[in-house]
Amino acid sequence: MNPKRCAACKYLRRRCPKDCIFSPYFPPSDPDKFACIHRIYGAGNVSKMLQQLPVQSRAEAVESLSFEAKCRVEDPVYGCVGMISLLQTQIQKTQTLLAKTQAEIAVAQAKHSQTQVNEFM
Amino acid sequence: MGGPGSSPCASCKLLRRRCAKDCIFAPYFPSDDPHKFAIVHKVFGASNVSKMLQELPIHQRADAVNSLVFEANARVRDPVYGCVGAISYLQNQVSQLQMQLAVAQAEILCIQLQHEPTLQSHHQLLELDQGDKALLLHNNNIDNFNSNNNNNNLCYAMSSGQFSSNFAPSSIMQMQMQDPPKQESLWT
Repeated sequence: MNPKRCAACKYLRRRCPKDCIFSPYFPPSDPDKFACIHRIYGAGNVSKMLQQLPVQSRAEAVESLSFEAKCRVEDPVYGCVGMISLLQTQIQKTQTLLAKTQAEIAVAQAKHSQTQVNEFM
Repeated sequence: MGGPGSSPCASCKLLRRRCAKDCIFAPYFPSDDPHKFAIVHKVFGASNVSKMLQELPIHQRADAVNSLVFEANARVRDPVYGCVGAISYLQNQVSQLQMQLAVAQAEILCIQLQHEPTLQSHHQLLELDQGDKALLLHNNNIDNFNSNNNNNNLCYAMSSGQFSSNFAPSSIMQMQMQDPPKQESLWT
């Protein structure tokens, strides 16, 4: 077997051809990356997804699939959707605090204006 | 539910097989919504989804299916970034809001310091609850805000600073996975 097989072909126990669609993105030094993606999506689905993308977009696609697969392995119920929910909650809390602070600014400015009017009179 | 006399679930219809009484997909993929299973099958594959569901307790499977459908839809809409695109967008929104909040909090400190210079502690300036104070301290490093000489300069710098935020989706690949919400369903 070719010792320079990519991680995908090593995992799938097959020959790694010159034009292997996986090899640019799954170096043999990182076997876990493909293993995780394969567990969630399957090699066939990933291959199809990559084939449908222009070559220059495939690296980013693999990284995002890897990220989502890791999230799904760590949280089998919500995957990366759990992270989206946390961010949405954080946005709501920050918006509420921002509105509260802006209201305090308005009150402070109104109080200052009133003080200036009183001093003038 | 599948079985003799009842119509097959959407999964078994798509897979063209008999829908067994104990079909694992049937509770979550009713026959009146064929698109739901089709999209999950397209992205994850039926056997992978089946394996994932089998590894989960029954009471968590509905949420798992809903999150898989969400992710599959995101991936079909954006084949390069999928859900990661949404996460990047939300992360950007959080950052922008935190910047606006920091500016607003600095502004109110400035106003109050300028008009009430006799106050000893900056903690007396704001009537915030503990959670808000923690957020304020985190955002503004207020613990270092001690020098009376630098008050006005710092206020100006924080109020008028230009921040740029460029969050390419690749940058959030570094994000640590936080503890996901486990106590209640995301879908209620």
